Amino acid sequence: MTATAERPATTIFRRPASTTGLWSWITTVDHKRIGIMYGYAAFFFFLLGGIEALLIRTQLATANSEFLTAGAYNAMFTMHGTTMVFLFVMPVSAAFMNYMLPLLIGARDVAFPRLNALSWWVFFFGGIFLYSTFIFGTSFAPTGGLGVGGNLAAGGGPGTLNWLADSPDAGWFAYQPNAGPLYSAGTAMDFWALGLQILGLASLISAINFLVTIFNMRAKGMRLLRMPVFVWMSMVVAFLLLFSIPIIAIALFMVTFDRQFGSLFFAPTGGGDPILWQHLFWLFGHPEVYILVLPAMGIVSEVLPVFSRKPLFGYSAVVFAGAAIGFLGFGVWAHHMFASGITPVAQAAFGLATMTIAIPTGIKIFNWLGTMWMGRIRLTVPMLFSIGFVAMFTIGGLSGVTHAVVPSDWQQTDTYYIVAHFHYVLFGGALFGIFAGLYYWFPKLKGRVMNEKVGKLHFWLMLFGFNLTFAPMHWLGLQGMVRRTWKYAPETGLQPWNFAVTVGAWIIAISILVFMYNWYTSRRRGAPSGLDPWDARTVEWMSPNPTPEYNFAVPPVVTGLDHFWHLKYGEDEEGRAVARPDKDEIVAEIEREQLNPESPIHLPNQTYFPFFMAMGIPIIFYGIIYHTTLWGKALILIGAIISLSAVMGWAMEPLEEPHPEHEAAGSQGDTKVAYDD
Amino acid sequence: MTDIAHDAAMETAHPEHESTGIDNRKLGMWLFLSSEFLFFGALISNYLLYSHRGGFQGTYPAEVYDIPFTSVSSFVLLMSSLTMVLAHNALTRKDQNGTRTWLFATAALGAVFLGGQVFEFTEFITNEGMKLTTNPAASAFYLLTGFHGTHVAVGVIMLLSLWGISRRKGGLSEKHGLNLELVGLYWHFVDIIWIIIFTAVYLLSVPPA
Amino acid sequence: MTSTERPHPTPAMYWKIAVVLAGLTAVEVAMYYINRSLHLAVVNTLALLVLAALKFVIVIGFYMHLRYEKAMLSRFFTAGFVLAASLYTIVLTALGVLVIRGS
Repeated sequence: MTATAERPATTIFRRPASTTGLWSWITTVDHKRIGIMYGYAAFFFFLLGGIEALLIRTQLATANSEFLTAGAYNAMFTMHGTTMVFLFVMPVSAAFMNYMLPLLIGARDVAFPRLNALSWWVFFFGGIFLYSTFIFGTSFAPTGGLGVGGNLAAGGGPGTLNWLADSPDAGWFAYQPNAGPLYSAGTAMDFWALGLQILGLASLISAINFLVTIFNMRAKGMRLLRMPVFVWMSMVVAFLLLFSIPIIAIALFMVTFDRQFGSLFFAPTGGGDPILWQHLFWLFGHPEVYILVLPAMGIVSEVLPVFSRKPLFGYSAVVFAGAAIGFLGFGVWAHHMFASGITPVAQAAFGLATMTIAIPTGIKIFNWLGTMWMGRIRLTVPMLFSIGFVAMFTIGGLSGVTHAVVPSDWQQTDTYYIVAHFHYVLFGGALFGIFAGLYYWFPKLKGRVMNEKVGKLHFWLMLFGFNLTFAPMHWLGLQGMVRRTWKYAPETGLQPWNFAVTVGAWIIAISILVFMYNWYTSRRRGAPSGLDPWDARTVEWMSPNPTPEYNFAVPPVVTGLDHFWHLKYGEDEEGRAVARPDKDEIVAEIEREQLNPESPIHLPNQTYFPFFMAMGIPIIFYGIIYHTTLWGKALILIGAIISLSAVMGWAMEPLEEPHPEHEAAGSQGDTKVAYDD
Repeated sequence: MTDIAHDAAMETAHPEHESTGIDNRKLGMWLFLSSEFLFFGALISNYLLYSHRGGFQGTYPAEVYDIPFTSVSSFVLLMSSLTMVLAHNALTRKDQNGTRTWLFATAALGAVFLGGQVFEFTEFITNEGMKLTTNPAASAFYLLTGFHGTHVAVGVIMLLSLWGISRRKGGLSEKHGLNLELVGLYWHFVDIIWIIIFTAVYLLSVPPA
Repeated sequence: MTSTERPHPTPAMYWKIAVVLAGLTAVEVAMYYINRSLHLAVVNTLALLVLAALKFVIVIGFYMHLRYEKAMLSRFFTAGFVLAASLYTIVLTALGVLVIRGS
């Protein structure tokens, strides 16, 4: 590997240079390795969130079940929501953006490789911090916070360890004052608030990084309106994060101050206003919904054209609709609060604003249908998942419109109808899109294609299990079954459908096992993919599979939308795509060229500092939770010292070590990459 | 280093990219600052909400403000923006002495502002009996001004680091020039947030009837 | 590149701007006391807001050089400000702070 040949030491520490083993991953600044780590970590949390979901569903399978205590049930639905939103869908989107964004725009890395490593490690430590609540939450916290004592609902007290019930239990949107010190005693909700704070920081850093990458690092000729739709959607998501994370940061700080230092922001007894929390949370929370689903929309917009062998129908309309969804997403937050007593004017205004979101969403759905219409469709696994996305998301979108009608929403608020709706958009939407992307881009990772037969089994099992799980929730909800209640009486007649729902949940679990088997075996035994397994359209497929460390030996010079496709295909008189006679040679030549760089390619050097800087943050936050104790104060100090030392080291260390032999030989032919950090 | 020269350098440094022509780090900084509006906006709205609510127990912030004192410290912070821009200007003219002096002056003015804030908080807590836990209005006041003060403190640390580097042989290099510009942007931003706070929180606040 | 080619202000100019900013601050403080004694609440509130806005724009435009930068930066910065201002105005209205009372 020419790129990693020389590693001189210029700072206090010798620069890390290992290319294999644990330290190579800890010190890496390669966007692909960071993307892989994001992906595996997200999948790990996906499994945890899935187990939590199965516990919830097992409890609800029968009437008056005693499987879980009320406290454990509260904790499970809280952690299921928190995990799936913040620890699975967001980081898995970050994984896609990390791995694919530079490739899709024809770049060698992101704009700030070290910040990229930082945001990953901040996320990693944030996730561990949040989940450490299962160990430290409540039970081990006799002195932390204002709320001394055990989890009231769980019936546990200080000193009794109750694994499940000791975790956060106030719902993923932590309504106040229920999540305040009075009603959620102990430290579990402190772990929740501070954990989300850390995860938010990671998202904010990567949002800035991706925006600068998209604006400044595109390959020559890739003007904004030539970018793949996934890049556009990533840009919209990054803006949404940029402008919504600060809001939740303040709201979470207010929770922490209320719980730890006795401020009175949300405590009604002291004059605080719980509705302020709802506003701040949903000001962030609604853009968050689009943060979750837009990357999946981007993936699907990449996959559908490839397997329909047609350009994306109405490219600019899809791009514009995505931006419009992002923009409108900021103006509809109060539709989560129709039942909270906001004024009739506000209800009407937010109801109307919510309905307008159906317009750009509808534009997208019709454009996806238009892409498939009259196309030569190949029903590969990524295509199946994309079609599944369009169908399931449409159902979720339609039930969403019914919440925009205020009187109807009052009827549905806090029932399973809502649960059905958001699982259709987030599971049927985001997750199907994510799986489409995993199958579609797997060759970039391993140079192999995932097994189609097993993949189809995964798809059909998941589609069936998903609909069996969430479709009946519509009618359960309309029959009046309320959310977040751990028991129902037999005479409600809710049991048959609840039992079906639980069966569906277990079928989903089996489908995920099938996926894991497929992933595991395809890594080594999948069919070799070559450069272009799908006859693809965009420039990420001009980089060899698996992706070399430098991405592109020769950065592409882009001449239009679907640049790669147009290298391979011309048009006949009627505008139909016709393969160029020398198509196979063209592809082979691209692969040869991209595998053999003419001169050494310098990439940013590895570094220790992002890892250590991120590591200090949870230590500080543990210290805040236990700040009433001496060792709590010591933790704050230790964490601050670790982080600040890492900042100093970072500031002193150049992104790239000098390359004396090339400087001497003159710089022509020496490919410099323009990063900053 | 002037921005013109800088942009020209950018063009040659990014030969193979379709880009905005704005330096990566500068673009990143402006994006960060634009998101900070949402951050401080939440804090200011929080204060406006609770300072207008009547019926809380204990002292309201507006009852204890010392306007002449805060006017002076606001003036100090405002003038630190002048010294900051003079430091940046001196560096563009390769005047290392001037850069050093004005950097130090900026950090010193920032420290004076922080000292004023510490004094103000101490006064309010010990003499006026208004604590974080007194009522939501007081909580909001401390959270807002505290977070602003934290921003100022971070700025002072960055300024002192730059000042430390500028005292070394050769002073600040071209690369540090951009650092100085970025710290400057951050510093001015903290100042404009205070301009809003001074008016919205101090001058326009009246205790609810 | 055209927007970046405008000459930057000189130190003398920066000093003049500082004098203007100081003057505006002095007027603000004076207004505060006038407000107290004359109870011209609405006029003074508006005037104070205008003065703050002036200082805000001057610092951004000259000290932060935004006038001399590419339009893209102004757009992002304005977007953040306008978004924050509109969202929180709506929140405060919904929570009953900015109530528009009839006669």
